[in-house]
Order: sequence, then structure tokens, then C-alpha cells
Amino acid sequence: MELDVLIVDDSDFMRDLLREILEEDHDVVGEAENGVEAVELYQESEPDLVMMDITMPIRNGIEATDEITSGDPAANVIMCTSVGQEEKMKSAIKAGASGYIKKPFQKPSVLQEIQKVTG
Amino acid sequence: MQIDIDALETYNELARDGAESAAASLSQLTGIQTRVDVTNVSLASAADLRYEFVGREFAGVRIALGGAFSGETVMAFDNQAREAITDVLAPDGTMERSAVEEVGNIMMSGFIDGWADHLDTGIDMSPPTYVEGSGEEVLPTNVASGEQLMMFRSRVQAVDESVDFRICLMPERATMAEAMEPAADSGIDFEKLEVFNEMTAAGSANAAGNISTMTGIDADLEVNRMSFVPIEDVPAQVGDERYVGTVLQYEGSIGGYLVILFDQPSARAVVDAMMPGGSEDGWGEMEQSALEELCNIMTSGFIDGWANVLESEIQHSPPQFVADMGSSILSPVVGRMAESQEHAFLLDSTIETADDRAFRCELFALPNEAELTAALDALLVERADQLEADPSEVF
Repeated sequence: MELDVLIVDDSDFMRDLLREILEEDHDVVGEAENGVEAVELYQESEPDLVMMDITMPIRNGIEATDEITSGDPAANVIMCTSVGQEEKMKSAIKAGASGYIKKPFQKPSVLQEIQKVTG
Repeated sequence: MQIDIDALETYNELARDGAESAAASLSQLTGIQTRVDVTNVSLASAADLRYEFVGREFAGVRIALGGAFSGETVMAFDNQAREAITDVLAPDGTMERSAVEEVGNIMMSGFIDGWADHLDTGIDMSPPTYVEGSGEEVLPTNVASGEQLMMFRSRVQAVDESVDFRICLMPERATMAEAMEPAADSGIDFEKLEVFNEMTAAGSANAAGNISTMTGIDADLEVNRMSFVPIEDVPAQVGDERYVGTVLQYEGSIGGYLVILFDQPSARAVVDAMMPGGSEDGWGEMEQSALEELCNIMTSGFIDGWANVLESEIQHSPPQFVADMGSSILSPVVGRMAESQEHAFLLDSTIETADDRAFRCELFALPNEAELTAALDALLVERADQLEADPSEVF
């Protein structure tokens, strides 16, 4: 199933990499480089899935996820982050995240997590 | 064994004064003007210590200490320093070894005298044993042990010439325990410090693994040291080589700064590997972004283990790209830290490819001293292997 995906990451390089991985099967409807932009773009584009980094300037990914899922409890948000701390993972769950991909990742693990969350 | 931070500072200053005294003795004997480049007290494994001495030839003296302060010291001159000494003191080519022995002995006495004065007692010195070679051949004999080693180290360089020598003092553990014993219940538990150093070594192995995953370049050598240094000396520990990398701040159960530096060819090599479609020659936006992302992922690999063991969170700021001399990159960081502390624990890890040196990178972590002390207090040694968290088990 082709999904509309919003990519949120402060790194140009990582957004490019994710877009490259996702565009074969899905439609990337927008890119945001911080949590504030992410919330705005989510409300505008209403994507099926958000790939959300955690460590970002202005507003981090956990806060942004919390705001998105507060407004839309059905939102699918996968944290896509280098952070491998258990407490952060728990915070992400509390904020409403549905999945978690740890960087550095390989394409199959990204697609597998998307399938798990949206399938 | 508990270590008093104030005592650690005092002994560090004694080591610096001792190194300056030894350097002055060398100047007096040979006319070479020297300056003390680096002095620190560090905790490292024997393998990590050997790494610093492997690949370069040294000659010098090894002296055993006894009485009120037991341990072993080595004064190691590099080849240029040895030649500078023998050119002046044994110009006819005979007595070269004797000249090195005597200079080493005099310098070491200068180094030790201040310690004896501080302890208000005598420190016995054995006759010097001449040592020559690299690595284990010149290091103190107890380096062969498997445990982590605490040592005082100084590196002294000539002002105008390319010569340097190193002083390494390795006290026996019982001596350290007595000398560093805190007056009240306020010290750092030495065993926990060792555990934390091992956690950091695991973190640098993770960071190395992340480089390999991101670039395809196998990073197969990591060297780790924990040093305690006067805060103003931190930039000198990094040196004046030009680097490209990132600086970021972390906060939470432990706060501080993490600086990741690649020498310029290494930075280019990793970015080229990450951008197979081609990168620009300079450092354009995408090249900077690629390096920042690599350092971001390395940072998490490095510090996540601390958070998981401490069952807490450590968040870090997005990495900020830097390109400058190492000391210039560290100076602003040190300036900010100096507002709240006079000394710093410097966690220094080197990651490189072992064979062809395809790349080399240095990680310098500077935790806030008070927060590190509190974290060590809270550290449960039995959790020290709980470094990794698996998202699939949490979600």
C-alpha cells in the first residue's frame, strides 16, 4: 500500500537518504527540519505516516509527536533516530509513537518497521 | 578506594611542577629550552597506554619509588631528545648511554622532589635502569597487568626544536589510596570510575561501529583514556593539528560537551563514502550535513550507554559543524566550562583503521565535574553491562 509520508529530520543528508528509501514504494508529501514545522506540515498534509527524528533544534521530535497525536490519536509516527536510550523510547511511546527505528539503519529495517506499524 | 577530587587536583599540580622542574634540569644540562606541553592524571588500560608508545623509539630511565610513595616512573626521550642530550654531554660518541641515564636520573629527582616535600617525607628512588625501544620496552613493568592503570603523565617539548620527552609516574594502588583518601565522605569511588571508563570504552566501540555502518569503512581500533586535567590545559591536550568535525552539548543525568574531530583527509574520506553520488571538493551544505549526521549518530552510540546504565536520559543538541585547529575548537568549550570548574575529566577516544590508517577520528567528552561525580555516586556497578536498549523490546 502506498502511503503519504512526512519526513522530519534536521539533517538535509538524512532527509535525502530517507526520501530515496521511501520514494520507491511511497509518496513523500513533505519534509520538515524541526518539530514546529513538523506539526504545521502534519496539519496541512495529513499524511498516513510520519518518520520523526528526536534530536532537532527549536522543538524536538518527542514534543512534536505528542502534539501531533494529541490532535490526531490515529496518527502513525515512527521515531527515526540515533538515540538508543530506553528512557527516550518510553517517552516516545508516551508521546504516542507507534514504532522506532534506530540509526544507522538499512533500507529493509525501515520498510519492515513501516509495514509493522501500518500493515 | 575513594579518591578526593581536591587531592587529585593537588597531585596533578605537583606533577606539572615536577615536569617543569625536570624540564628546567634538562635546559640547564643541555641548553635546550623546553616547555611543559601536557600534564594529566589518567586512567587507561595497559593496551591503551602502550598505543601511545608504539611506533616511536624512545630511550630513557625507569626508576622504582619506595618509602612513603611506592610506584614506578619512566622518563622517556624520543630520538631527537636523546641525540640533543648526547650531542652536548657525550659528543665523542662514548658514554652516550651513561649520559642519558644521568640526565634521566637528575630530571626524575627534580620531578619527585616536590612530591616528597608535599608529603613531608622522603621518597626512595632506585638506581636508574636504562631502557630503550618502543611500547612495552620502555613503559613501567607493571603495565603488563590486565587492570586499568592510573598514572601521572607529562609531555615536554623543546621550544625551538622537534624534541620531546615523556614522564610517566605510576603509583601503586595502596599508595594512591593513602594519598588520595578524602578527609570526609565526599570522594569518588575509584572502582566506579574504572567501570565508567569501561562504559566509555564500550561507547567508543559503538561509535566506531556506527562509522563502519554509515561509511563501509571498517574502524577496527579504539583507544580510550580518561584524564583529569586543569581546565585551561584541555586545548593543549588536543593540539594544533587542523580538524573537521562537530561540537555539541549534552545534558541530563550527566551534562557536558562532546567534540568529534576528524583530520581533514579522514573527514573527506568518510563524507565521500557516505555520498557515493559525489561530494563537492569543499564543505558545502550537503557535505556538512553528512558529517553532522555521522557525528550525531556517533554521539548517540557514545553516550546512550551511560543513560541506559544510569536508567536516565541524556539529550544532546544538534551537532555544530567546525573546521579549525583542535585547540581553537576546544577553547570556547573550555571557556564555558571554566565558569563552573577548575579541572575537568577529559574522556578521549581515538578511532582509526588499524592497517592503512584510512581514517582517524578523535572523540573528546568533557562531562560536567559535579554531575559526573553525582552520576558515579548513583551508578550501580551491577548494571554496568546494561548499555544497550532494544526498541523492539520496548515497543
